[in-house]
Amino acid sequence: MTTGFDLTIEEHLAILMSREVNDWETSACGALSFIPATAMLLGREMRAPNAEIIILGSRDYSPFVTGKDFHFHAQRGQLDLFFISAIEIDQHGNFNLHVIGDRDEPDVLMPGQYGTGMLYYAVPRIVMFRTEHTRRSFVDQVNYVSGAGTSPDGVSRRTREVKVITPMAKLNFNQESRIMELGSVHEGFSVDQVVENTGFNLGIQGEIDTTPQITEEEVHTLRTVVKSHMIDSETYPNEAANLIREP
Amino acid sequence: MYTMIQAGSMGVPFTSTLGYAGTDILERRPEDFKIIENPFDSQERTVVAKAMNPDVAIFHGLKGDRLGNVLVQKHGEELLLAQASRRVIVTVEEIVNSVDFEDSDGWFIPAIHVSAVVHAPLGAHPTGVPGLYDADEDRINEYVKASGTDESFGKYLNRYVFEVGSHQQYLELVGLRPELEAVAR
Repeated sequence: MTTGFDLTIEEHLAILMSREVNDWETSACGALSFIPATAMLLGREMRAPNAEIIILGSRDYSPFVTGKDFHFHAQRGQLDLFFISAIEIDQHGNFNLHVIGDRDEPDVLMPGQYGTGMLYYAVPRIVMFRTEHTRRSFVDQVNYVSGAGTSPDGVSRRTREVKVITPMAKLNFNQESRIMELGSVHEGFSVDQVVENTGFNLGIQGEIDTTPQITEEEVHTLRTVVKSHMIDSETYPNEAANLIREP
Repeated sequence: MYTMIQAGSMGVPFTSTLGYAGTDILERRPEDFKIIENPFDSQERTVVAKAMNPDVAIFHGLKGDRLGNVLVQKHGEELLLAQASRRVIVTVEEIVNSVDFEDSDGWFIPAIHVSAVVHAPLGAHPTGVPGLYDADEDRINEYVKASGTDESFGKYLNRYVFEVGSHQQYLELVGLRPELEAVAR
């Protein structure tokens, strides 16, 4: 890591993702989602004190009685931002949460998409993330389309903004061309490195921005207020203790 | 899948759901999912999922009584599944005189949705029941490993299912003693 803060991958992604959380909006993530949960809590501290936060399966941030209640909430259009972690993401904005390897003879069969194939239509803003930026994760064509980047004609879709955040870069899904493009490269990485580690053409035209630097305030807030709040509120307390460093 | 069970529980032939269009879920299961025109708005199309009514549903609960009322863990979708299914078998930790509708330990499912109740303490093993016992991580890892090939999974089934004569024998095989369960609570 080159930011000088000795960030863990989880800290780095959570800080970048926290910048997507907006005031007066409802942001949500599923269960088993330590990084987005951290991002939302940090976002609330840093920039969005009135953000509504939903962390499924948590004690303090899940107002729903069953999974259905959450999914119907989304279908009714009551979420603004949802975080999706995917195994593979392709140029056309498709993601895979079903298989590793061939879809008929998979090396690993994953638990599946648990409603994300619906949420990818129902929620206006989607932030996908991956803890590695490699050619095996960013592929020309995903092995299984669990969530579809492009909708057939006539099928209603609220999703109007899709971003992908990785340890190296931020990608934006161009809503007109329906192609994933390189948005910005994080400090310490080059455009060439991103290209080398991406299995599809990133549609680079002209200068690519550098992602705004990680600030001392973000790191400090994460490692103090957010970390202790997560431990106290039993929101991924073990992960917070182990994966967020001491201030 | 949820949408299919949902339609099944409602007794209607299908229900509409948002999203999923363009995924391989639809592409691979054209008999279960279709994209149709919204009959109330010809400008719009929507995914519909066919109702699923399983012949048999089997799930684990906390308590059951002689009438077939059961109490299951909170926050699940067992009631919906029971409503959708033709026969419903519930294994339970404990048989009680009468399952109380107001029992706050879990959620009540009335006997009208239940075909049979089976007394099976520790019956969720190798998964757990929150508040009663944890998942058995070693045994789950063994299951996951075994599921890699048909051959290894066949061996697993033989060892833990087909060659086991009773629930008691299973518990002995995996080193559990159900009589301790009452003490632990």
